[in-house]
Amino acid sequence: MEIPIYVVTGFLDAGKTTFLNNLLNGKDWRDIKILVVQFETGEEEFQSRYDNCHSLAFPKKLLERQPKEILGRIRSFIQSGELDEIWIEWNGVVPFSELQALLLAPSLRSLCRIQKVIHIADGANIENLIGRTGGALPEQISNCDFAVVRNTYSAAAYSRVRRLMRGINSGVDIVNIHETKAYNDIYKQLFGKKEHPVSLFFLTAALIAVLHFAAGPVLETLQIPVNTVINIFLGILLQAVPFLLIGVMLSSAIQIFIPREWIERRFPKSLGPGMAVAILGGFCLPVCDCASVPVFRSLVKKGIPLPVAVTFLTVTPVINPVVILSTYYAFSGNMTVVIRRVCFGIISSVIIGVIIGIWPPKSQILSGGALDRLMCSCGCYEDAESITTFKGKAGLLIRHSQSEFFNVGKYLVIGTFISSIFQTMGTGIFTSARNGAGLAISIVIMMTMAFVLSLCSSSDAVIARSFANQFPMGAIMGFLVFGPMMDIKNVMMLSAGFSKRFIGKLLFTAFTVCFAVVFLLSGLGGMKI
Amino acid sequence: MKAKAFNPQIFLEILCYSVFAALMLYLVSSGKYLSYVTPRMEPYLYFTATVMGIWAFAGLARLFRPQHKIRSAHCFVLAIPILLLLLPHSPMKTSNLAGNYVGGNTFSGITGQSAVENDPAQEELIPEDSADIQTDVPEDEYSADLPGLDAANKKITVSNDDFGLWLSEIYMNMEKYKGYTVVMTGFVFKNPEMLREDEFVPARLMMSCCVADLAPVGLLCKYDKASELKADSWITVEGTLFMGKYEYDGVEYDDPQISVTKIIPAEEVEGYVYP
Repeated sequence: MEIPIYVVTGFLDAGKTTFLNNLLNGKDWRDIKILVVQFETGEEEFQSRYDNCHSLAFPKKLLERQPKEILGRIRSFIQSGELDEIWIEWNGVVPFSELQALLLAPSLRSLCRIQKVIHIADGANIENLIGRTGGALPEQISNCDFAVVRNTYSAAAYSRVRRLMRGINSGVDIVNIHETKAYNDIYKQLFGKKEHPVSLFFLTAALIAVLHFAAGPVLETLQIPVNTVINIFLGILLQAVPFLLIGVMLSSAIQIFIPREWIERRFPKSLGPGMAVAILGGFCLPVCDCASVPVFRSLVKKGIPLPVAVTFLTVTPVINPVVILSTYYAFSGNMTVVIRRVCFGIISSVIIGVIIGIWPPKSQILSGGALDRLMCSCGCYEDAESITTFKGKAGLLIRHSQSEFFNVGKYLVIGTFISSIFQTMGTGIFTSARNGAGLAISIVIMMTMAFVLSLCSSSDAVIARSFANQFPMGAIMGFLVFGPMMDIKNVMMLSAGFSKRFIGKLLFTAFTVCFAVVFLLSGLGGMKI
Repeated sequence: MKAKAFNPQIFLEILCYSVFAALMLYLVSSGKYLSYVTPRMEPYLYFTATVMGIWAFAGLARLFRPQHKIRSAHCFVLAIPILLLLLPHSPMKTSNLAGNYVGGNTFSGITGQSAVENDPAQEELIPEDSADIQTDVPEDEYSADLPGLDAANKKITVSNDDFGLWLSEIYMNMEKYKGYTVVMTGFVFKNPEMLREDEFVPARLMMSCCVADLAPVGLLCKYDKASELKADSWITVEGTLFMGKYEYDGVEYDDPQISVTKIIPAEEVEGYVYP
């Protein structure tokens, strides 16, 4: 029979030993034969009250030099005595994956298996530790089944810690040790059975299929065109996925192959040249907006000044050659429209960048906080710069881009779904709102429409053209300039990596600037096709 | 012993990558992708399939490296499109759209067709060998190579596959085809905002980027009994090309139009027109 292993992780002084002392000396454990294995010796010692616990302690040095010996000793212990449970206190600065590798060694694999992993965190200093103490801590958090937090006496502090933890291990259950029913919760977590995620996956997939057959026809009879939504959804998605792939590959390549120091040394420090590089880069990157979001994120992570990165994000989808060409064709070779789109795009994005530069966001803009700056949020916690072989880097590139694909892709799917519903509803509400409105209102209507429809920037010119006889040229310009910069799809994708506050600010700035630029400049130009 | 060290999360990921890659290849090779996106996307879909294939292959190395914490929710990013692609649904038809074109019920899809002039994608539609012939064959003979053109009788029979080709050809050389008899099939598109009582368009749906931007395109027809035609019904129109005027933004443009002589009901045409 396999002996269940319970693992307690947490940083030095997080309170792991105290937790074990409190838990295992409780009445419920009195008749259970336990082996406690400690890979760390802290200030507090493990003391067994009922004499049912044996303990082994291995210093970190031994773990590094002679893992075989550790294996042998655990193995012989298991074989000699009749054990019911093994509890492991893991070292706070060693990644959890090393323990996993240790326990999966062929000699141990058949004897025991990891049952639950508990992470203990000291709420008072976890925020300071994370991001400054290397990859082991976040790796441990991301691998735990549930977390126990202590030292958080105010609700605000607790919710901050919870947000931090969930940022690393999404949806993880967290127990506040100071609550009265804390130990109840811990028991529930320890011994509760959870459905296997993979079977849950197939279950949900089957449910979707059943729902499709059962609810689909019902909705259709209620005049809700499910078929149309599915078609539009798949159309936008098939269009976007290849570009998203290009984007995540590029951004992962930036993360892995370009060292931070190189950017810090080479990239222009001052705003002017930096923006010029951003615009040039935007022109040279013939991709649509789906690809520029991941690249934007990796640029920010690599320490490119935020105003420059924002300029890059907003200018790329407007001025890249594919978009210029498609605008040219859509407007029958009308160069005025093309030139205005490119110029307005550049002017707007530079102003947006400058505004972000003058009023920089006060709080962390990356949702992972300080953690995200240090390493990728992809669950591969190996430091990109410590891997030197090309093969190793290529492997990392693949894993990195995969996790980024899933991370951003989930928001792409949601965003696409929302916008396909809007598209199915038709644009009638927008066009009817136009009746009798002036230029300013028309511009706002067209910009809102561009935001809601989330069209790919390489195709939106054709749609814009189709509105040309209902809306004045200025409004069309608003659609053409703002649409690629910001839409539902983009905002959703941005929320994969940035704080809501920052996205809100960016959206507001972009909307206001685009409106002002288009309104003022098209007023001046008196444009006509 | 190996089975014990099996990693179900990686297995699930590999499964999703492979199925997605296989679906992409299937969509492209069967031509079914044309119901969702334009032919221009073909290389990108191949690219997607390749990347997914590489990812699946790279995952094999980790398949027997187990991990304690198993996640599966992220796989829905691929699983949802896979499911929706596999579950039965029919391609978009004119009746699905019920006038709800993204283009806001405008006439523009039709005038927008003139935008296609000089479109490089358009030129690809012309059979490749035509370029070789062009060098030593007189102009008139060359255009005889256009499918369905009967220069001697001044008649153009537009087959369903050549709808887009002919539309741009006629727009490009309006003068040349003046007075020709045209036969083409489309659905009756009427729009009181844009078209007069005696006007309609035998239209097809044009996809400029993906299925989200379907818009009707076609040549405007003058027909006294246009009001008797049922909107969205499929018809074959025969008529004479003449140079009409189309007013847009206060300016009048030349617009090739058809003066209808005969209308017969037609079978619904599958597929879209691509610029």
